[in-house]
Amino acid sequence: MSRSIRGPRGMLFLAAGMALSCLVSTRANAVPAFSRKYQTSCQTCHSIFPKLNPFGTAFRLNGYHLPGETEEQVKQKPVSLGADAYARMWPEMVYPSSLPGDAPLALNVKMASLYASSHDDTGKTIIHNDFQFPQEANLFAAGTLGNSFSFFGEVTYGENPDGSGSVEIEHARLDLISAFGPEHLFNFRVGKLAPNLYDGFQEMWLMTNNGADNIFTYNPIGFNGGTGLADSGGGVSLPARTRAIEMYGVAAHRLFYTVGVSSPIGPGGSSGQFNNGSSKDFYARLDYKLGGLALDGDSTGVKLPPENWRETSFRFGAFGYWGDGGDVDFAITDPEGNPFKMRQGRFSRLGVYGSIYLGNLNLIGVGVHGSDDLSLRDHDTGAEISTSTHTYDAWFGQADYVIAPPFQVSVRYENLRPADPSVAAQRTLNANFSFLVRANIKLMLEYRRDLNDSQNYQLATVLRAAF
Amino acid sequence: MTRPLVLALGLATCATLPLSAGDLHGKVTCKGVRDSGDAVVYVAAIPGKTFPAPKGHARIDQMNLVFSPHVLPVLVGTTVDFLNSDAVLHNVFSPDSCADKFNLGTWPKGEIKSYQFKKECVSATLLCKVHPEMEAFVVAVPTPYFAVTKPDGSFKIADVPDGAYTVKVWHPKLKATQKAVTVTGPSAADFEITK
Repeated sequence: MSRSIRGPRGMLFLAAGMALSCLVSTRANAVPAFSRKYQTSCQTCHSIFPKLNPFGTAFRLNGYHLPGETEEQVKQKPVSLGADAYARMWPEMVYPSSLPGDAPLALNVKMASLYASSHDDTGKTIIHNDFQFPQEANLFAAGTLGNSFSFFGEVTYGENPDGSGSVEIEHARLDLISAFGPEHLFNFRVGKLAPNLYDGFQEMWLMTNNGADNIFTYNPIGFNGGTGLADSGGGVSLPARTRAIEMYGVAAHRLFYTVGVSSPIGPGGSSGQFNNGSSKDFYARLDYKLGGLALDGDSTGVKLPPENWRETSFRFGAFGYWGDGGDVDFAITDPEGNPFKMRQGRFSRLGVYGSIYLGNLNLIGVGVHGSDDLSLRDHDTGAEISTSTHTYDAWFGQADYVIAPPFQVSVRYENLRPADPSVAAQRTLNANFSFLVRANIKLMLEYRRDLNDSQNYQLATVLRAAF
Repeated sequence: MTRPLVLALGLATCATLPLSAGDLHGKVTCKGVRDSGDAVVYVAAIPGKTFPAPKGHARIDQMNLVFSPHVLPVLVGTTVDFLNSDAVLHNVFSPDSCADKFNLGTWPKGEIKSYQFKKECVSATLLCKVHPEMEAFVVAVPTPYFAVTKPDGSFKIADVPDGAYTVKVWHPKLKATQKAVTVTGPSAADFEITK
């Protein structure tokens, strides 16, 4: 029995990947609720939204508090839920807290014009020219509840090319800030969240329209291991969002850590459907930042330029995610078309991350090595036929450059070596030119090309506004 | 009134008051809070000098679910009346020992309950169990020379006799401070307080 998947079939997977990037809307995270709260510009925290500058990163890791925040910096006076004196009366009285002064809501809207090529089953090139107005709208709720809690929520309405739409709660989380011990060291969050595991490189923190799909949407399921990116119903890659309890913090201003336990993800690609199984996945990350503004916003002993997108720094670290694909059967076929079922068992994802700031230039690199235990089963009886372990590697390198604050460019190279040895590595180029029309309105021109045989491409013109 | 009588009254006045007195004024800069109001500036206890409690009562109103004023300095011994001007029930209590952790109960609109601050108390936090966000402060100090800063931090304590004093500053959210001040007629003293 041959297990090879070559030639046109492999190309089809790559084409599917390109098509996927046309259909899957990217996530938007720019929260003007904070602009209102502090009466400050988006560019205080974003070099170009949603990408955070070093100060914005510190603000986020501080649980949405400014580094060294004082009362007069908060322009929207919060609503008191209890006099401060109640703190020393606890537990006789409820511990004091506060609510945001105004409804902490914000809206992002994204309009996209997509001009893209793909191949049909016969290998014929098809051109899509689609106005996706809107492609996506995001309602955010974010803020703080007193000094110890913060929250973040996002409901997204995504409109599909056929006009149908879907609504999803993408984030709903509560953070406990500096729960005990030294400030910034022990923070906890619970909810549906984007793990801090991906701080700095998940698509919602990238300036590009497309995310790094090779990191988050790889499908490990295949007769000889995964062959490429997932469309709906794929196995677990790295879950972009999880239902998790996470502990994170910053030690000595520059050492960042996070550990988390999360519900396993069922089939459905990066967003995933949640698996209600009793087992839990685990993840952890540790990294360090040399130079520049410290991760908690401390600037002691550091000379920083007035341009807040610039610094000279190097942040590097490693992360891992360990989980179990659970008892989900995926329908597959062997190269001859015979049907089987496949289960994704234990899997691991080990990665490294690096980000270098050199003045106007920011270089980002991420690499992931994945390992999956796959169980091949009889299509009819479900009886296990064989087990095997497959590995894959995915990495990307990205260069972001600030020509001037309104004009920024980005180039990213993505590489994915699927587990199936018969499938060539997938190589993708993603180039972006962004024009910040206003601090909260941006226009992007983004070109994405499959560098493999398919040579499929996508040219996206995207208008985004946050208000 | 004849000129000799005026002269006699003037001499009598000079015999009972210090030779001269002036306003102590200045500014308290409050760092880390929205404005520089609500700081209490007062002359600390003067050795060998006591001041009788005033006969009149001070008053704190509860109106629109807010204590007014938010900060009230009084001379030790002063009785403070707590008026409820709202159509809802209010309560006043203090968790502070220097105010005997008093709890005046709950009373309706138009009624007053009182408490006498018999000892120095810097500060007595006033709370309302019915409305947990309500908060105010009574600062019972040992001399009648005190003032509350305006939002711009300015203050003026009238008629401080000439002399050398310790002037203290208290704020609901910031660290207290003090400094030695010599008053000779109109005098100035500035302060800066932080968290």
